[in-house]
Amino acid sequence: MVRASNVGRVLALLVLAAAGAAISNLAATTQRKLPWVGNYPQALKFEPAAALPSSPPTRIEKKEAPAEIAQSPPSTAAPAAKSAVTSPATGAGDLVRSFPPHPDKPALEIAPADVQRLYEGKALFLDARRSSVYAEGHIAGARSFPVWESDIDQRVKGLYEEGLDQRAPVVVYCSGGACEDSHMLAEKLYMVGFDNVLIYKDGFPDWQKRALPTSKGANP
Amino acid sequence: MFVAAAIPKILDPPAFAHMIYNYRLVPGGLINALALVMPWIELFAGLALVLGVWKRAAALVAGALLLVFLVAIGWNLARGHAIDCGCFDVRSAGKSREEQLADMRWVLLRDVGLLILTAQVLAATSPRVGSSSRLSRG
Repeated sequence: MVRASNVGRVLALLVLAAAGAAISNLAATTQRKLPWVGNYPQALKFEPAAALPSSPPTRIEKKEAPAEIAQSPPSTAAPAAKSAVTSPATGAGDLVRSFPPHPDKPALEIAPADVQRLYEGKALFLDARRSSVYAEGHIAGARSFPVWESDIDQRVKGLYEEGLDQRAPVVVYCSGGACEDSHMLAEKLYMVGFDNVLIYKDGFPDWQKRALPTSKGANP
Repeated sequence: MFVAAAIPKILDPPAFAHMIYNYRLVPGGLINALALVMPWIELFAGLALVLGVWKRAAALVAGALLLVFLVAIGWNLARGHAIDCGCFDVRSAGKSREEQLADMRWVLLRDVGLLILTAQVLAATSPRVGSSSRLSRG
């Protein structure tokens, strides 16, 4: 039987915990701080693993209209993938022709060969992993956009304010496998108007496996 | 164990929020609040049990937490959703799906064991146990 005094003590423990959390969160650094109310539209979405293909298209809910992250259409990126290994570095205009904007979808998932081609073409690369993980190693030149850290919306706003061509390809990546940080970042970029976000689904582990250029530290 | 489990979560709430998100059981708006408060509940319940103050209240809280953990892990195990439990380490361990599922089974067993221990504390501090009138004041 739970006596009234124990109910009071349970409530006191909960109040103490809430106070501890509030003080701790106020004192935390930007990298460790959390807004109290999260914004994760996909939080309850679950698809059984057995029912999924190896690289499934992922639906993302958008405020204005439903949109989806799809795999790159064969008519544009797939031919690029075939030529990616041997193609020389391309300019921004060539990249936009090979990887056209897709304003109806937050992002497209692309193959590793396409990623390499975009890298050689000097596309913007964004790393969605935690800043501490970024500092341990990232794609050389990629900028840190840690989607789980409290200043992510400011970073996205800052990128928007840089006045970049929002139709130019932007490659986002995280840790590959089941990691969804890149999808979450893609949705944020889409919401501020970036129409050509491409997801490197296999992420940094694949980049390392292919011995492509990496950097360490807090800077690109 | 509760104290040890709470520390890494308190030190890195975003990482713990990511772990909770991976469970796919908590509405998006509540994830951060849960990630911020739950570790502190673990900490205070654990400290109370270790120090022997408010033992019954702390055991009730610990039992409730364990039930939540059991349901969360068990539910995902039942639907084949492999995740890192985030119990003591809030960084992704980079394990395969099979390794994660195996770990989840062990976590389930461990939490059942801890729940039994919690039940013993509750039984020992029960006001109905005549010989434990001194304990019941704890």
